[in-house]
Amino acid sequence: MATTSTTTPTTLTGTGRQTGRRPSTGGRFRRYLPLYLSISPFYIIFAIFGLFPIGYSLYLSFHSWDGIGPMKFVGLAEFRYLVSDTQFWLSVKNTVEIWIISTIPMLFLALVIAVILNSSIRFKTAYRIAFFIPNVSSLVAMAIVFGSIFANNFGLLNGLLQALGLSQVQWLNDPWGIKIAIAVMVIWQWTGYNAIIYLAGLQAIPTDLFEAAKVDGANVVQTFFRVTVPMLRPIILFTVITSTIGGMQIFTQSQVLVGNTGGPGGAGMTMVLYLYQQAFTKNDFGYGAAIGWGLFIILLLFSIINWRVVQRTGK
Amino acid sequence: MTPLITRRGFLKGGAAGVAGAALLGAAGCGAESASAGSALSVWYWTGSISDTLLGNVQKKVGVKLEPQKIGGDFKSKFMTSLAGRSYVPDITGINSDVATYFPDADQFVDLRKFGADKVKDQYLDWKWQQGVANDGRMIGFPMDTGPTALYYRTDIFKKAGLPTDPAEVEAHLGTWDDYLAAGKKLQAAIAGTCIASATVNDIFDQVMAQSSKQYMDRQNHFIGDQAHVRNAWDISVKVIKSNLTAKTVSLTADWNAVMTNGKVPCFVGAVWMKNFLGPAAPKTKGMWRVCRAPGGAGNSGGSFLGVTKYCKRPEDAYNAIRYLESTKNQAFSYQDINLFPSTPASYKDPIMRKPDPFYGGQVTVDIFGSAAEQVKPFYFSPYDDAITPAYATELGNVESLGKDPDQAWNDCIGQIKRTLQHTGVI
Repeated sequence: MATTSTTTPTTLTGTGRQTGRRPSTGGRFRRYLPLYLSISPFYIIFAIFGLFPIGYSLYLSFHSWDGIGPMKFVGLAEFRYLVSDTQFWLSVKNTVEIWIISTIPMLFLALVIAVILNSSIRFKTAYRIAFFIPNVSSLVAMAIVFGSIFANNFGLLNGLLQALGLSQVQWLNDPWGIKIAIAVMVIWQWTGYNAIIYLAGLQAIPTDLFEAAKVDGANVVQTFFRVTVPMLRPIILFTVITSTIGGMQIFTQSQVLVGNTGGPGGAGMTMVLYLYQQAFTKNDFGYGAAIGWGLFIILLLFSIINWRVVQRTGK
Repeated sequence: MTPLITRRGFLKGGAAGVAGAALLGAAGCGAESASAGSALSVWYWTGSISDTLLGNVQKKVGVKLEPQKIGGDFKSKFMTSLAGRSYVPDITGINSDVATYFPDADQFVDLRKFGADKVKDQYLDWKWQQGVANDGRMIGFPMDTGPTALYYRTDIFKKAGLPTDPAEVEAHLGTWDDYLAAGKKLQAAIAGTCIASATVNDIFDQVMAQSSKQYMDRQNHFIGDQAHVRNAWDISVKVIKSNLTAKTVSLTADWNAVMTNGKVPCFVGAVWMKNFLGPAAPKTKGMWRVCRAPGGAGNSGGSFLGVTKYCKRPEDAYNAIRYLESTKNQAFSYQDINLFPSTPASYKDPIMRKPDPFYGGQVTVDIFGSAAEQVKPFYFSPYDDAITPAYATELGNVESLGKDPDQAWNDCIGQIKRTLQHTGVI
């Protein structure tokens, strides 16, 4: 550290631009040491809490382990079991279904909200904050609130249905009811977030396009579908990718609403919940790790599809 | 210039932080217990040990304890410490799933070494057996128990023309078939009334809680497809077919509502349900009573204390446990935090015999105490946590999807056998 006191302020400001002669490798290392040190906390923490667990879970997935005793090497047995495990495939199906029924309405709603926020209305900032708040509120607390809304006997929603003269629905007892409840939670949490992203995209669209459309006599709906949506395409693709990654990892909503077993028919059993159940309630950590890698492969496939779509539309 | 110094100071701080992290990592590698100095660390969860008693240990036994209340997922945290072989507590609370530790019983100190067998007679035999691993090693010392009883509402029973006095209800509802018949009577009197506190699994679990045989025997044979389980299954299916389940999730706001407005005027539950029923349905105070459960005595829940092999002074740890779980102190814990004793002599202690206003002044220890004494010894296996969710899932399918019960049973047994084969047990 002593030598760093002789370095020029140029280095310390972080540009690292060289002026004049080239120093030796050792000198360069010492010169950049403070910079490496200042970015090192992230890499050190990532190595301990990110990289190591990833590598270790791969190692674990070739073993049978109850979490305490000795690990037993079992080769590919965990993966063979995974491929033939109907419960796992059910969790994949559930996750994809929940993803579809949450993502499509969510992105559509977000877009509509963004267009409204982009028009000249009062208290714009207040609305933007209001729409973003669900995204930063506690998921567990929310799940409890939604649990009361969708409750089978005396839920708010059933109270409303009854008041309207309709028959009650046992939301958390019905496979689609559970999925809808989870999807509604996802929509509630992420619509505002996506709306803010769309809003940023909207503000980047040149206003003369809208003016031209107006001159040509286009109405609001025509402008929305023929000007706004095409211009926003890259932003929409970005939100689709981020909601795919998020949607594949749904866990808390299911766990708090229907518990570790996934509820009736296992309808709320998502991939991550299944991983949690196998590893942490059944103490089958090797299999839990194998599920984790199964999840990785599925996410990879979805990402490739997304990437392909982006490539094609880019042309 | 000032900003320059600040930045350098920051960098130095960063370097020190890195070095600190490295030291911490090194410390984590050594196999050591979490005890600081000479105190023995105790891991427990809220409501599992009386804090007053923990505070008295040093004065009464001469052993310094360092109690650590572990929040969140207790078991995961404990298993993590065992897997990492560091910061393992000297003494730990163990829940009713004590058997999951049997395959790794060597992680615990055998409490027989310190003469635990000498006090065996003071504890309920079935409870004592529950903490003993297959090789005879005693890893769990009895704490509280969870004897079960029938909870019922006198106001609604009266309306339906059912008896209301505990002795009469007991005589009238001796078997599960009687209970089902009473359910139909309740439903005829007040439409929509149910007899399972949440889902049908409550019925299944409670019937199983009365059975001496569970899902595996001590020789690790799967017995979960035999008559005693099928009986619990068949009773559950009958309850579903009669539409007598409330289809709610236990201990949620919906469950509170169901308990308050009388949709569920009776259920079979463990003694600790008292802790939840009071706050859930305060308006029903005085209307509830308890009596012997249909089908007989059962147990659901209850915990243990164990000493890990990392404990440096296991004898001191054992003495502290003996003090905490003595007959007198278990009675005190019942009064203090409603833990039901595993020491039958405590049931006669006057502090346990106070009338309970929530139960209309009933002395509930008479019911729960005799249930606790009548429970038949049973064996929970290390694999029960992997087995039982299958029954819950398939009964759920019968209950809410109308799946054929026989098909569901076959799917359930098939799923369990697959899981056990995968685990390498069968």
